[in-house]
Amino acid sequence: MARYFLTRLGSLALSLIVASLVIFAVIEVIPGDPASFMLGLNAAPETVAALRAELGLDGSLTARYLSWVGGLFVGDFGTSYTYRVPVAELVGARLWVSLPLTLYALLLSTLIAIPVGVIAAARRGGPADYGIMGATQLGIAIPNFWFAMLLVLVFAISLRWFSAGGFPGWEAGLWPGIKALTLPAVALALPQASILARVMRSSLIETLGQDYIRTARAKGLSQRQAIVRHALRNALIPVMTIIGLQFSFLLAGAIIIENVFFLPGLGRLIFQGITQRDLVVVESVVMLLVFAVILVTFLVDIAYAAIDPRLRRGGGAR
Amino acid sequence: MLSIDRLSLRIGAAEILRDVSFDIGAGEVFGLVGESGSGKSMTALAAMGLLPRGAAPSGRVAFEGRQILAAKERAMCALRGREIGMIFQEPMTALNPLKTIGDQVAETLLVHGAAGRFEARRVAEARLDRVGLGAVGAERFPHELSGGQRQRVCIALAVALRPKLLIADEPTTALDVTTQAQILDLLKGLVDEDGMALWLITHDLAVVADVADHVAVMRDGALVEAGRTEAVFRAPKAAYTRKLMADSTHVPDRKAGAQSAPILEVSGAVRDYPAGRAGLFGPRKSFRAVDGVSLTVRAGESVGLVGESGCGKSTLTRAILGLDALQGGEIRLDGERIAAPAVPPPLRAKMQVVFQDPFGSFNPRHKVARLVAEPFHLTPVPDIGARVAEALEAVGLAPGDAEKYIHEFSGGQRQRIAIARAIVIRPKLVVLDEAVSALDVSIRARILDLLAELQARFGLSYLFISHDLSVVRAVTDRVLVMQAGRIVEEGATEQVFGAPAHAYTRALIAAAPRIPEGWLAA
Repeated sequence: MARYFLTRLGSLALSLIVASLVIFAVIEVIPGDPASFMLGLNAAPETVAALRAELGLDGSLTARYLSWVGGLFVGDFGTSYTYRVPVAELVGARLWVSLPLTLYALLLSTLIAIPVGVIAAARRGGPADYGIMGATQLGIAIPNFWFAMLLVLVFAISLRWFSAGGFPGWEAGLWPGIKALTLPAVALALPQASILARVMRSSLIETLGQDYIRTARAKGLSQRQAIVRHALRNALIPVMTIIGLQFSFLLAGAIIIENVFFLPGLGRLIFQGITQRDLVVVESVVMLLVFAVILVTFLVDIAYAAIDPRLRRGGGAR
Repeated sequence: MLSIDRLSLRIGAAEILRDVSFDIGAGEVFGLVGESGSGKSMTALAAMGLLPRGAAPSGRVAFEGRQILAAKERAMCALRGREIGMIFQEPMTALNPLKTIGDQVAETLLVHGAAGRFEARRVAEARLDRVGLGAVGAERFPHELSGGQRQRVCIALAVALRPKLLIADEPTTALDVTTQAQILDLLKGLVDEDGMALWLITHDLAVVADVADHVAVMRDGALVEAGRTEAVFRAPKAAYTRKLMADSTHVPDRKAGAQSAPILEVSGAVRDYPAGRAGLFGPRKSFRAVDGVSLTVRAGESVGLVGESGCGKSTLTRAILGLDALQGGEIRLDGERIAAPAVPPPLRAKMQVVFQDPFGSFNPRHKVARLVAEPFHLTPVPDIGARVAEALEAVGLAPGDAEKYIHEFSGGQRQRIAIARAIVIRPKLVVLDEAVSALDVSIRARILDLLAELQARFGLSYLFISHDLSVVRAVTDRVLVMQAGRIVEEGATEQVFGAPAHAYTRALIAAAPRIPEGWLAA
């Protein structure tokens, strides 16, 4: 187990180094220098020169890379050119919205999808299965911004249970915060839950066809016992992969939903950063997202080992 | 105890079983023999109440007077595992990979409420000990065990509650001869000591002859013959039974035609596999799969290579085919050295291979003509179409079959196509890697005849790699016995089988089940 953990950890570190090099290189290869790109065509030469100095563009490539990465380690992401505040502060504030929103949506999606997928697989070919397959098809097909607007119309405007948008901040208390994130989380969770339920269903159906399920049935387990005791844990392995992918997608992919609900999230920050050519913000937020994705992949790998003993003992015999 | 009376079964429009009737008494060993697809397993699943969805059985299946086909699922769950246990063919996949073997055996007791958690663990350990896994430990996971050990776990969990009947569906088909002998011994022991009845399902007549009191022969969903084992073997009534027995011991008509010129020479071959490090920064270990093997195959000769799985047969085959490089020694084909991975095409064309699995070794999207013509990328010829037609004709197929797709053929026909693919560029050597092991006896007999005929016609040399001793004995001139990467015995086939010199050869021959001498005399 320790060996598996260390190799995973090594691959995590390596991925991070490669990612940081790629992000740095992409920003560097933008034609012209970043300062004149950020300021646009009509900028005065003196302004460009001042920005160059501010960004530290006069140093060598290696020195700039090292100072950027060194800054990342101590939480210094540089200063945003457009906002004139440290990027760490900008990101931090938005992370407190995006991260809880992502986890909330993921929790909803998992809690819905797993039982639904299990029911569909257990009653394969029956009316419940057809109903669930139809509903999940619809869930994937409906654009989530449209579903979000529908939620606003019903629950915010007609029923007045939730507010139509905005975020009061966690200072206002836990409950108002959760309340403000509920509709966006539901809107985000719907397509994810639909995908996840279908993955859960097909994975479980495949597992139920395995020889060891037949062995379990021959021991005297009922269909239900065979699912709960043998099939479920095996079927969860591909489902976890999808959950990992969904986390990374939701963290930065919620731009549209954040706009519909006026939430100050990471998606909006990066969108604004790009439109305002604020490369400092873009560079740092992208790096942060890459870090999150790699970290989640690492956690999913560790979860695999927790489920599957074949991975725990150093990859089996020979 | 178990009584099956006029059992018929349909799945959709297909008729699977027709009027199958037999009884199994308490403490009796009943053998059900038949080729694949004859309906043996379906009969067993009907008795377990585990038929697939959409199956429509009729007739009567009674266990100690209780009707099984009409029984509620709840009643069947109580019956399965407690009164009737079952084990299956493929031990590698029959256990849940995520649970320890002790848990899986204990579960049989737990689901039937026969014991508390602590007591169930104790019984599980006792049962694992009974099947010879006491030294392995209940905390192990299935992937840490060999195929034979896993089949022992399956037996332990099937007999954990001492059922009155154990159904064993091809329990040894996926295992080596020596492991097979041990598993059959274990099953016999359970019958003798615990008074359990055993219903053994197999395609192998020799296994049944060895073990069963009664035997029934099944063909296309119906029983063609049933009776006491010895009576059925000594005086088979049905023509099909006679054919099955003749095919299982079939020796193709062939002449030993070895010339002196060697085609394949392997000398001192060594093949190592990296086997991970000892500790994180420890030195790399390696595993020596082939250890100083030398062998020669002469023109027109058939040479057998036998040994258990894991003995290095497949590794050696890969090296001979030029797929893996050697760490020592050398391999020469027709005088030229094979230096993997860059084997020149004209050299490679002198050697072809036929593998075990006739289903997995063809691209399903290509027509037979293209599949058979594949080796011509090595040495292109102008008249490919004519050569393909000739090869198909040589293996007993029609030239028109070239325009069909592979799914239109049966397993035996596919193996013929694989042979056609191997001979189409007129190689000097054909490597047959368990080429008939997956085939039913009657198909196997025809393929062995075909191989003998092709050898005479095209002057081929065969390297016949198999764990099936009876086949190797029937078709080879010389044989080599391999154990743990080394050749332990080598000689003329009749001499090695008739008077084995090495202890391992003797053990292999003793382990192979045989129909007793005299039973086949008539």
